[in-house]
Amino acid sequence: MTRLALTFLLASSVAVSPLAAATANNADSQTIEYRKQWHSDVLTGYQNLATQGQALSSQAASYCQAPSPEGLEQTKQAWLEAFLAWQKVRFVDFGPVEQGNRAWQFQFWPDPKNLVARKASYLLKDEAPITPEKVSESGVAVQGFPMAEYLLYDLAFANGEEALPAGRSCKLLLAVTRHIADNGQSLANDWQGFQSNYLGSDQYTDTTIRSAMAGLEILEERRLATPMGLRGNGKRSVYSADAWRSEASLAAMGASVQGLKQSFLPAFSKLLTDRKQPDLAEQIAQQFDEVLANFPELDRPMAPLLADDNGYKLLQSLYIDITQLTSLVNDRAAVELGVVRGFNSSDGD
Amino acid sequence: MPELTRRSFIKSALTGSAAISLSGCTLLPRKAGNQSPQQYTGAIGLQDNRFAVSAIAPDGRMLWQSPVGSRCHSGCIRPNTAQVVFFERRPGWAFYVFNSESGDRLHRIEAAEGEHFVGHGVFSPDGRFLYAPANRYEPGEGIIAVYDSQRGYQRANTFELNGIGPHQVTMHPDGQTLVVGLGGILTHPDYDRIKLNLPTMKPALLMMDRLSGDILARFQPSHHQLSTRHVDVAQDGTVYAAYQYQGPAHELPPLVARYRNGRYEEIDFGAATHRELGNYIASIVAHPENDLVAIASPIGGTALIFNSRSGKVIEKAAIPDCAGVEALAGGDFLVSSGRGKLVRMGKGKPAEEIASMPVQWDHHLV
Repeated sequence: MTRLALTFLLASSVAVSPLAAATANNADSQTIEYRKQWHSDVLTGYQNLATQGQALSSQAASYCQAPSPEGLEQTKQAWLEAFLAWQKVRFVDFGPVEQGNRAWQFQFWPDPKNLVARKASYLLKDEAPITPEKVSESGVAVQGFPMAEYLLYDLAFANGEEALPAGRSCKLLLAVTRHIADNGQSLANDWQGFQSNYLGSDQYTDTTIRSAMAGLEILEERRLATPMGLRGNGKRSVYSADAWRSEASLAAMGASVQGLKQSFLPAFSKLLTDRKQPDLAEQIAQQFDEVLANFPELDRPMAPLLADDNGYKLLQSLYIDITQLTSLVNDRAAVELGVVRGFNSSDGD
Repeated sequence: MPELTRRSFIKSALTGSAAISLSGCTLLPRKAGNQSPQQYTGAIGLQDNRFAVSAIAPDGRMLWQSPVGSRCHSGCIRPNTAQVVFFERRPGWAFYVFNSESGDRLHRIEAAEGEHFVGHGVFSPDGRFLYAPANRYEPGEGIIAVYDSQRGYQRANTFELNGIGPHQVTMHPDGQTLVVGLGGILTHPDYDRIKLNLPTMKPALLMMDRLSGDILARFQPSHHQLSTRHVDVAQDGTVYAAYQYQGPAHELPPLVARYRNGRYEEIDFGAATHRELGNYIASIVAHPENDLVAIASPIGGTALIFNSRSGKVIEKAAIPDCAGVEALAGGDFLVSSGRGKLVRMGKGKPAEEIASMPVQWDHHLV
């Protein structure tokens, strides 16, 4: 074989045929109805996130203006409500939430290297002023709920010199909660702007179902089974869960299931029923309620339940309920509908 | 709890290490190209988050299965030897050298400080130098790390790619030119697999002199978010690149490009096919015996064969989670999937499932 002759070193790209324009007229008239419902239900969730994010930002501002122990508690409460609003829509992994890694901006997790604490320590010790721009350029570990949670809840931090309401810490809290509020608002706006593409492209039906499947799998495997010691090294560890600083890991799981029930299930049930699977649709709806029946009893810290065998039984019971829900949606319904998440398709390269 | 039982059953059926079952014909077809040993090696996922590299023989027996510490992605055969190399997937902290006949692990070579591998590599035609795309992750610089297999896989050289996110590398049939897919996506191991620079990506297809490291050519796709990941070269020197589009799903840009006769051109399969491919191609292989090229998309669950000259799609099959592609002797292709299937595809015949195994094949077969 002779040496490849490379005479045109920087050839421009020449399309063989014109680039296919995205077609909005491909919509399947049957599935567009489901997407209309999903679009509306997710919008409700996003608008709630925007509202709660704004409330968190305002509460943080009031607290830092006139700090008090009550103000700190109120700020923690506002954080929790905004965080749970995010949990409800966390399963949506496509569309505007993909832009600029917004999902990661809201919640950088998992964080095995404790980047959140490292970044906080770096920013607080640094001389440069803490501004919204600084937060915008500091990466996703700084920009969302885990950073605000660190400032509000971390025990070591709360006992240190930089604990709230110290000046730089308050500045960071303000900038981060502002960032969360702005992201929530633009996400809700962008989701509205995404409507015609979402309704016009049939493939978003499968995409939406896959996003719920992925959300359930992450819930079962990474958020619950891993801290329970059922995966990996087999050790129980609350640090493998998310939101361990605020002790809201379990409440967050409840919110995620609630969110799927509110924003995903209505159109999904209709779709299953229309595909002659009314019994399966009914079973899935019942299983959502089975999972949610674990709450509010399980709206409590996870660590003591991991440490105590009787407490652990409560987690096992939740785990079994979630496993059954995941099985119904990700195995049974997925097979019926021909929507599959795979080893390569869900995390490829 | 019938559902729980059923799910456990499905899980163990998918990932257990039970014997291979073959349906249809009991013999796997021969691999194309006379240099390769008659076996297929791939990275696999097993039960409980365990991973291995595994080889199967043409008669469908599992020849060996060698455990590895983390999920591997792809690899390459070392010419003129009984060695096969596999790389950990991004961020890959090591590659493994196996005896391709026994599966014995001969080496585990760790990435240099501040670097990680990306899952691919290729040997020089004499089997001495291993070229491994890597990421120097603090500054975010793509490189080709060169290892000398005759000196225990010591690092021999480093070539700069002047770009971000190299992925697959292959050897041009001229034996001198490395063909590199530069994905353009910035990642950092501290941030999992988060894509850090989607607005400013600069993907490219690169040609590099394997001795000097000089970049001989750099071709940019028609959109800056067409991540140029996978590459192959036909026997006549035509180069193929396969993209993974990072923009929204309702946009349907071209996903394959070819370079020949001094022209870099994108091939448009039409909106319907692009939709079936889910804007994502995991593997591209040009058949050494004919003018056919095969691609596979796990996102779309679609594999297809197109004519390299006309760009026309001539066969298409729905294969859930399909990703790996191999050329078979006689002109057909073999497609592997994350659900343990091996499917034979060829011109003018229906796709045929030839094996179903209790493993999850990762992206590539070698």
